[in-house]
Amino acid sequence: MISLPHYLTVGAVLFVLGLIGFLTRRNLIVMFLSAELMLQGVALNFVAFSRAHGNLHGQVFALFIIAVAACEAGIALAMFLMLYRKKRSLDISLWQALRDPGLEETRDLVPLPAEPKEEPLPVLSVSGIEPARKERDHA
Amino acid sequence: MFPTPSFVERVSTDLQRDLLAFLPELILCATIVALLLARLVTPLSRKHLGSFALLASGCALAFAICFWPERSAPIGSVPLSGNVEGFSSLLVFDTFGLYLRVFLLVFLCCSLWLSLLTGIPDAEDSADYYTLVIGGILGMMLMASANHLLMAFVAVEMASVPSYALAGFLKGRRQGSEAALKYVVYGASASGVMLYGISLLAGTFGTGSMPLISRAVAVASLGEGPTLPVLAGSICILIGLGFKLSAVPFHFWCPDVFSGAAAEVGAFLSVASKAAALALTARFLFVFSGSSRTGPDDLSGSALALGWAFMAAVTATFGNLAALAQTNIKRMLAYSTIAHAGIMMMALVAVGPRSVGPLLYYISGYLLMNLGAFAIVALVRNRTGSENLDAFRGLIRRAPLLAVGMSIFLLSLLGMPPLVGFAAKFQVFAVLYETGRDLGGHDGMIAWVYFGLLVVAALNTAISAGYYLKLVKVMTLEDPADPSPIRVSIGSGALVSILAGLVLAAGVFWNPLTQYANRASQSFDLAPKFEKPAKIPKDAVRPAIGPKGKIK
Repeated sequence: MISLPHYLTVGAVLFVLGLIGFLTRRNLIVMFLSAELMLQGVALNFVAFSRAHGNLHGQVFALFIIAVAACEAGIALAMFLMLYRKKRSLDISLWQALRDPGLEETRDLVPLPAEPKEEPLPVLSVSGIEPARKERDHA
Repeated sequence: MFPTPSFVERVSTDLQRDLLAFLPELILCATIVALLLARLVTPLSRKHLGSFALLASGCALAFAICFWPERSAPIGSVPLSGNVEGFSSLLVFDTFGLYLRVFLLVFLCCSLWLSLLTGIPDAEDSADYYTLVIGGILGMMLMASANHLLMAFVAVEMASVPSYALAGFLKGRRQGSEAALKYVVYGASASGVMLYGISLLAGTFGTGSMPLISRAVAVASLGEGPTLPVLAGSICILIGLGFKLSAVPFHFWCPDVFSGAAAEVGAFLSVASKAAALALTARFLFVFSGSSRTGPDDLSGSALALGWAFMAAVTATFGNLAALAQTNIKRMLAYSTIAHAGIMMMALVAVGPRSVGPLLYYISGYLLMNLGAFAIVALVRNRTGSENLDAFRGLIRRAPLLAVGMSIFLLSLLGMPPLVGFAAKFQVFAVLYETGRDLGGHDGMIAWVYFGLLVVAALNTAISAGYYLKLVKVMTLEDPADPSPIRVSIGSGALVSILAGLVLAAGVFWNPLTQYANRASQSFDLAPKFEKPAKIPKDAVRPAIGPKGKIK
């Protein structure tokens, strides 16, 4: 028989996993995913309580959590895209320009694993009529 | 299962009353929609929409003042004398909430005027900027009058999400992007923690309604005291609110966001956001503190109060010490904001009508002086392109009005006697002293907490003199590197003079504002109190919506 404490345990585990992931990860998207994981743990809590109390309060909370999480994800992902365009990386430790005067930049003792080299996009062989670009180049 | 006609009739009359009381917020909603749609109309798409936004918020402010209970003109059938719970008790229209509503709208008008003067959104971006600012203020107004945990959560998010975007509003600047990044990532996890606390509380009591929870807490305090989930839940909620308040272990975002974002946004975050967070904290603490007055041997109230007092003392001290070393003015003001948040948190240690009045006075005075300081930072930035201490060197020779205004605001932030900052600090100190003296009779330990806080607050005022007076000295006594005068437009001069004049006037004549603040704090008397908790039936803990889904 699965009872309320079981659901609450799963919710708490999800929440703590999200918290740990948020505190330890350096990739922006993984950090944000962890924050969302925390919210999902909370939503599970609410739904379990809703069932235990026999009312719909918790379900309403869960609906609102999903909506708010979507809003936050929208604004955060848009921001991450903008940041990625500026530095071509999702590593959060690159963003340390704002800090107290006299404070050294934080550096990891263990360097990040080298990123796999990005494979160049395949170039399709030219076929059909020669593109107009070449003619302009000659002119 | 199905609603009866009488029920429908009652709901519709309630709805009419609630919508009427909600009119200022509705005006802001309509303004947001209008601002967004204005982009679609060709003649308006390139116009600067600041004056329209200012007009609409002035309109909302006028209505909010009309609903102030002292005006005693019940528009329609709105009896706003007591605590009216609106929208099936999701919101509460009490004097405290109405006061803060007026306060936030006044701030909105001032901040829109400032943005018109400094031109931080250009015509292209104006609709976005004003939508975000007005949307944020709307969320804060809901925070100030939330009566349900669901409403509190949604309002906190409504206030936070626009703030994230505003922090990164200067799109071209890397620092702005970094500020927004730090804010959004930190904010998302803080709201997760707060929500976990809400789930524990609402789950334990089976309802999210704050009056019902406070009654249930009072009932529990007669028995074995609050259970572990309740304590853990309230601590989680206070962590989330501590993030909004930039209380010390959760303050790391504050200086970075302030120094990366525009000064106008800094004013928004330091005044309006702090005020709303303090209001919500006051409501939360009030829910839990009632039990601490029923008996001295109760754990929840005094343990929470002890923790809160410690956090407040550390916040004030840390903010002041860190501000001493800053060279960027916005960063310095950010640490000064943290320190002031600490002092305001001290007032909340003894939450009740006696301490909420001074808190409201402090918030109102803080609006005047901090908005003024940020406005001058923005004006100087526009002319010199710098926000460092060097830009202010010898400002008295270059722009006497700005230098004098800034000195007044800084001395007021420090707490010099004829200014509003002194009156605010004095009232908070007086509350700490009186509460400690009253408690001295039967609970010695708690009394010493209050006296200790008083000492910490006094020491902090002395520390803060270090950086406030340093800036005043740099502005008035040192020679400027570039002695060319800074031109100040008439509007900017008017804004600075009005704010400085109000700082002076409210510091000399305390009474009107103090009376309003004290009257606003009366709603903390009227709220369901814990004088006779024995009479509260046990089923007060029961959910408001029965298993059949019928609303009581």
